[in-house]
Amino acid sequence: MKILVCLKQVPHQDARLDVNGDGTWIQEDSIKFEINSYDTYALEQALRTKDAGEAEVVVASIGPDRVTQALRTALGMGADRAIHVKDDAVDGSDALGIAKVLAAIAKEESPDLIFTGLMADDGNFAAVGPMVAELMGIPSATAVVKFELEGDKVTVERELEGGALEVVELPTPCLVAVQTGLNQVRYASLKGIMAAKKKPIDVKTGADLGVADQVGAGAAKAKIESIYSPPKGDGAELIEGSTDEVVGKLLTKIKELGLL
Amino acid sequence: MGSILIVAEIQKGKVRDATFEAAALAAKTGHDVKGLVLGQGVAAQAEEFSKRGASEVFLLEDDAVANYNVDAYSAAIRAAVEASGADIVLISNTPSGWDVAPRIAAALDAAFVSDCFDLQGEGDAITYVRRVFNGKLDAKLTTTGRTVATIQPGATEAFDGSTDGKVTALTADLSGVRAKFVETKAAESKGVDLTKADVIVSGGRGVGAPEKFPEVIQPLADALGGAMGASRPVVDAGWLEHAYQVGSSGQVVTPKLYVACGISGAIQHLVGMKGSNFIIAINKDGDAPIFEVADVGVVADLFEIVPALTAAVAAAKG
Repeated sequence: MKILVCLKQVPHQDARLDVNGDGTWIQEDSIKFEINSYDTYALEQALRTKDAGEAEVVVASIGPDRVTQALRTALGMGADRAIHVKDDAVDGSDALGIAKVLAAIAKEESPDLIFTGLMADDGNFAAVGPMVAELMGIPSATAVVKFELEGDKVTVERELEGGALEVVELPTPCLVAVQTGLNQVRYASLKGIMAAKKKPIDVKTGADLGVADQVGAGAAKAKIESIYSPPKGDGAELIEGSTDEVVGKLLTKIKELGLL
Repeated sequence: MGSILIVAEIQKGKVRDATFEAAALAAKTGHDVKGLVLGQGVAAQAEEFSKRGASEVFLLEDDAVANYNVDAYSAAIRAAVEASGADIVLISNTPSGWDVAPRIAAALDAAFVSDCFDLQGEGDAITYVRRVFNGKLDAKLTTTGRTVATIQPGATEAFDGSTDGKVTALTADLSGVRAKFVETKAAESKGVDLTKADVIVSGGRGVGAPEKFPEVIQPLADALGGAMGASRPVVDAGWLEHAYQVGSSGQVVTPKLYVACGISGAIQHLVGMKGSNFIIAINKDGDAPIFEVADVGVVADLFEIVPALTAAVAAAKG
């Protein structure tokens, strides 16, 4: 069995977010990056599936040199090989452009299962996973909080509003876009990290994958015109001062609510 | 200029507010607004939508769409897009909406924008407004060609006008179904029912470690005679059980007082608590989105403020 996991490297969740010069994204130069939180759960589920039976786990990611670190981490956790699409021409792609790159990889790999995160912590589009499935002509399920595989049948529980769950069965090949909390993500062991240095990272371009004319800013149909701090509006009345002063003022508010 | 097609969201036999909210946004754009109602036994709902927001509602009744199914919904929506000549497809950003909408966009090779809380402009110059970085920044997008967009439920007022629309029966080939709906499981209600608490003190990722919940957060909840809650990352990390989760996929609460400690305020958490009567937010990060919905905010270390507040409340109660 072959499992493909699509990873995105995103700004660290505590990174300082400064809007860039032309106001279309944040400044990425001097911040730390990490694997998208949702994707860590996707990778973990792929590795658990591999642990339970024979499977090859292939991880793929798109981006500049720094993405190598994310792929090495994934290989250290137990993935078998990695594909790195490193190509300036892919910059500025919208979700569909990214999906076309990943679908091209999937077409070459023919995985039985594809795991992605439900969304990325930066763009929050929640688009690429289901788009890849559509382009591949395979069924998909999103916001997955429970995953079971029996032979060629996948059973998932999808998270609905208010804590309700929807149970769905899918035949393989299929794609599952996972919700955070699906599992507990493992750490790469020292042995795993050492072994990862010998595992292959295949570097490709959009042209190698036959999608050069379908990606990049020129092909993007959805375009971010501007990113900005939301207008503050009314917001909170900020209470300042020493701890005693702050606590005193909060106590007054609580009294006014009739709670004391 | 093509029309806008709104895929109606029906829950417990009713067209959800989310659908009429999308209709309100659509009405602003000057496009002709059409609707799609899918399901079984939903003719009345189609009629309702044709009188409240849509000039024409396509009604597709079939067992295959009686419950949400990604393959059947996908085929049905694509048939409606063809029948309606729509340039823009609006789908509510609900668990079924976000499941199928990106697939529609890929199938149509269309632009895709998700979780929009506003549409601005008219005609061919529509700007889609949404949030990024888990609610920390806003973004405006434009699109080229046909567009599929999902609309955030509850972000805007529902359409309250009337339209004199018609209902048109629609059929589609729904035979290529691979996914199988098995059942819906109701939420497990174990533990405290947060929806009944007068006071909730919630902790987020900023609380830092599981033991700090009983050490720091629970005591303040106890002192105020309330219940403890948590944001999603706390539950994902296994620090507290799902029963404590406040948010769109946990409990939606409206207590007299909500105290958010070390919670940044991602959208799905805000959805769960912004209806509270009074909100106090304590967070080291002054830019945290939680301060937008809070009534009172303290930009400080919760480990300084919360224990001191707990002691002060206990003393005041005598």
